[in-house]
Amino acid sequence: MAYSQTMLVFVVLAPGVVFSVLALLWLVGWTPRERVVSRITGAVFSASILALAVIIWRLAATGAPAVTVTFGNWFTVHDYHFPLVLMADHLSLPFLGMTLVLSGLIGQFSATYLHREPGFLRFFLLLHLFAFGSLLAFAAGSFDLLVGGWEMVGITSVLLIAFFQQRTAPVENGLRVFAVYRACDIGLLVGVFAMHDWAGTASFAGGLPSLTGNRASIVCLLLLLAAAGKAAQVPFSGWLPRAMEGPTPSSAIFYGAISIHAGAYLLLRVQPMLVQSGLASAMVIAIGVATAIHGTMSGRASADAKTSLAYASLTQVGVVFVEIGIGWKAIALVHILGHAMVRTLQFLRAPSMLHDYHKMHSAIGGELSPTGKHLEELLSERVQLWLYRWSLDHGHLDTILDRFVIYPLMRLSRLFAKLDSMGLSLSGREAPVPRHSAAGQGNM
Amino acid sequence: MAGGARILTSVAIGIPWLAGILTAVTRRHSRVIGFAASSVSVSASVLLLWAAPARESLDEALMVLFSCVTLGATLVLPRRDCNSGTIGGILFLLGSTLLAYSTDDLRILLAAWILSTVPFFPKQWFRSRTWRPRLGLLLSSTALALAIALIAAHGHAMSIGSLKGRSPGGLAVFGLLVASVIFRKGICPAHAWVADAADGGPAIPTALLLNGHFGAMLVAKLIVPLFPHTARDLFPLLSYLALATALYVAIRALTENSPRRLLAFLALSQSACILAGLESRTVEGITGALVHWFVVTVSTMGLFGVLRLLEVRFGENLTASRHLGLAEHAPRLAVFFIIFGLALVGLPGTLSFCSQDLLIHGTLASHPQTGLLLPIATAMNAVSVFRLFARLFLGRRRTGFTVMADALPRERWILTVGVLFVVLAGLFPNAIVAQQAAEAEAVEQAIHAPMRPSEVFERKLSSKSWSDSREGTSGMAPRTAGNKSPEKIGRDPRFRQRLRSASAGKRDVLHAGTKSSRSLYEPATVLS
Repeated sequence: MAYSQTMLVFVVLAPGVVFSVLALLWLVGWTPRERVVSRITGAVFSASILALAVIIWRLAATGAPAVTVTFGNWFTVHDYHFPLVLMADHLSLPFLGMTLVLSGLIGQFSATYLHREPGFLRFFLLLHLFAFGSLLAFAAGSFDLLVGGWEMVGITSVLLIAFFQQRTAPVENGLRVFAVYRACDIGLLVGVFAMHDWAGTASFAGGLPSLTGNRASIVCLLLLLAAAGKAAQVPFSGWLPRAMEGPTPSSAIFYGAISIHAGAYLLLRVQPMLVQSGLASAMVIAIGVATAIHGTMSGRASADAKTSLAYASLTQVGVVFVEIGIGWKAIALVHILGHAMVRTLQFLRAPSMLHDYHKMHSAIGGELSPTGKHLEELLSERVQLWLYRWSLDHGHLDTILDRFVIYPLMRLSRLFAKLDSMGLSLSGREAPVPRHSAAGQGNM
Repeated sequence: MAGGARILTSVAIGIPWLAGILTAVTRRHSRVIGFAASSVSVSASVLLLWAAPARESLDEALMVLFSCVTLGATLVLPRRDCNSGTIGGILFLLGSTLLAYSTDDLRILLAAWILSTVPFFPKQWFRSRTWRPRLGLLLSSTALALAIALIAAHGHAMSIGSLKGRSPGGLAVFGLLVASVIFRKGICPAHAWVADAADGGPAIPTALLLNGHFGAMLVAKLIVPLFPHTARDLFPLLSYLALATALYVAIRALTENSPRRLLAFLALSQSACILAGLESRTVEGITGALVHWFVVTVSTMGLFGVLRLLEVRFGENLTASRHLGLAEHAPRLAVFFIIFGLALVGLPGTLSFCSQDLLIHGTLASHPQTGLLLPIATAMNAVSVFRLFARLFLGRRRTGFTVMADALPRERWILTVGVLFVVLAGLFPNAIVAQQAAEAEAVEQAIHAPMRPSEVFERKLSSKSWSDSREGTSGMAPRTAGNKSPEKIGRDPRFRQRLRSASAGKRDVLHAGTKSSRSLYEPATVLS
């Protein structure tokens, strides 16, 4: 194995190994001290950044387009195989660099921010698992492997939203986000299956699977469903403000930087296929435009700093989607990198923002004067009011989802519960009712 | 070698039964006796697996799996439950299940089938409030008994090996066997007994009963080898039922608040996925089903184990209708629960990620429309797992309970072994997947093996040509290139010769066809 290949394997596996070792030791009874955890984190991400720098340097020196590591097939059944290929090319390298730099940064920031927090070790374990999932998704040489990293990112995201587990709201919001993720991931699973079935492979290490016409459109639309879910695009944007319940460092890295851009990465990866489908490209643009408008409107009506930042982030990702739909791949990539860095900084500064404002007001001797007339004042008062209410309820997206998906599903579930207990009622026996409350009280 | 295998099989089955009797008589050292007997079963099963030839080791692999989870059950069983009755019942169940897995005789299979249900009839042992579990088990046993009686009435041999590919008893027996699967497995509309059993019965023994997967065993061991052609035509119906069950139960679980019932629904939904995979008639789907069998068994045993540990610590009135915040008191149990739970529904890095991947590919390949139900059901199950975890372990801490009540070292170590199995097998799946793929190819070849000429002729007589029957199942065309297609069979000179002679008289062909033609078209030997 060449030097740069070894480095790539190290970069991807290092956070996963740290997570596994620390988790296993904790599971059998050993809890490491905070300092040990933060130092290990710092060392691992520093070493990984150095390793990635070596890969970039080697690629620049040799002029090779990509570093590819093939481990053969993870498992093989008949004519179906799961290729285990890692690849670092011009698209994945910026994402790998962004993940390593920001994860290391968040690790250092959180060592102070979460000092003496009861879930200190849990946070760092999840940070390592998240970094491993992200690196795996970005360095995957096949969509099969990408699914693995993708799912890991989703699960860690949900567990970090529910980080403050003593409060009910974060836990319930985590559940809601998990439901949206899982529903949208069906698109990814079926899309990968379609690639296997139609093209015989889902590997893109040697170029994307060759699909054209309707098949390309179907695959792109399925992947768009997954990308839209992960990137909180319309109509799945409702989960984003809920995700702000997590600790600020995790909000920064997930919804300001890496997780929210994973959808854009997926679309960039299938961009050559996207170009062949006018319908899918139009859908990407339409979703991006709708999200950008929705994000900027809802962000302006948000009362708290983190939600406001989250919607600002959403607006930019919507614009990135538009760029991808049009075919401006390089611009989208630069946009993502710049946006991720700036937004992470804003999120990390959010907790001290009020303090800074107070300090500034105190220094200048009063509050800053209003910035002047806004564009919305050009509209009639009635329209302004309607828009304000629409923005305040985040475009009614959650309400629509509840009314047309969640509630019917719950009603169906309760109907099934009644059907199940019908036989018992007819026989004159007592139906099995849960001990604390009647069946059917569960909700998402 | 055969004598050695017989001795090992007898040891694996007999020792648990003897130990069960010993426990019932002495009423002391139940856990030690249970542990020792299960360990002997594990050792004997491992030796059997090691000695078994490739492509014929499914029974032995299942024996190892079930004896291992029983061993784990004897260790994880809380002290309150660890009495001679429970351990005796578990050991009795172990012996019966291993007997069912290992036997080649239909009468012994029936006996083992019935014996495995016996502990669930006495009210002292199985305190279910409803009649449905006993009725479900009774109906499944009755259907199997009738099927075997019909086979015997037709004068067939009772050995599974000698009946392969012969469709003994025809559609009637096939229907009875499928009914037996439906009742035992809890396929819709006979699914309600599973949740009732989990809710009212002893948690860990009931989980063992469900994880015997006798329904799937009957499909893999009896229905497919004995009725390959009937299975090929009629399996889609059972497959649709299995997929419908997976979805129905997944939807049902969304509003269930009793943790035991919810876990039973999840186990049932995932078990239905096993059946759907077995019936997908693709190597990927069947392999996924066999691998998923391992995952479901270990994960649901882990989940029921953790739940029972919580019940003995915090009371049996746990509910998913509100947050209990138990992670504050039992953080490691919370971690075990979420790992086992997510491992059940395809968490990356666990074995179920591979099995789900194969299952989805297999079912979508054979049923492009209805196969979509599988990922949808799995997604709903994942939401239910997380909801149960969130309600039990997260939220505000329970007032009035201030001490830590985490897993004891005994429980911690055995649960860690379970977690390591699902994780390490997930990281290095090829050992398990390759073995199950070989078994799956045998099953798939049995289904797709061409018909004997006599059967082809019978079909021609009933004006149902090959092409018609193929058109009827065009969406589920066999994917194995190695098998002879019907068109190729039609071009086979020996087959044409037989058809020509058939025109002289049906009786001659039916008599002459069997011996010589069986050597040509006999399905591959499977699952001895």
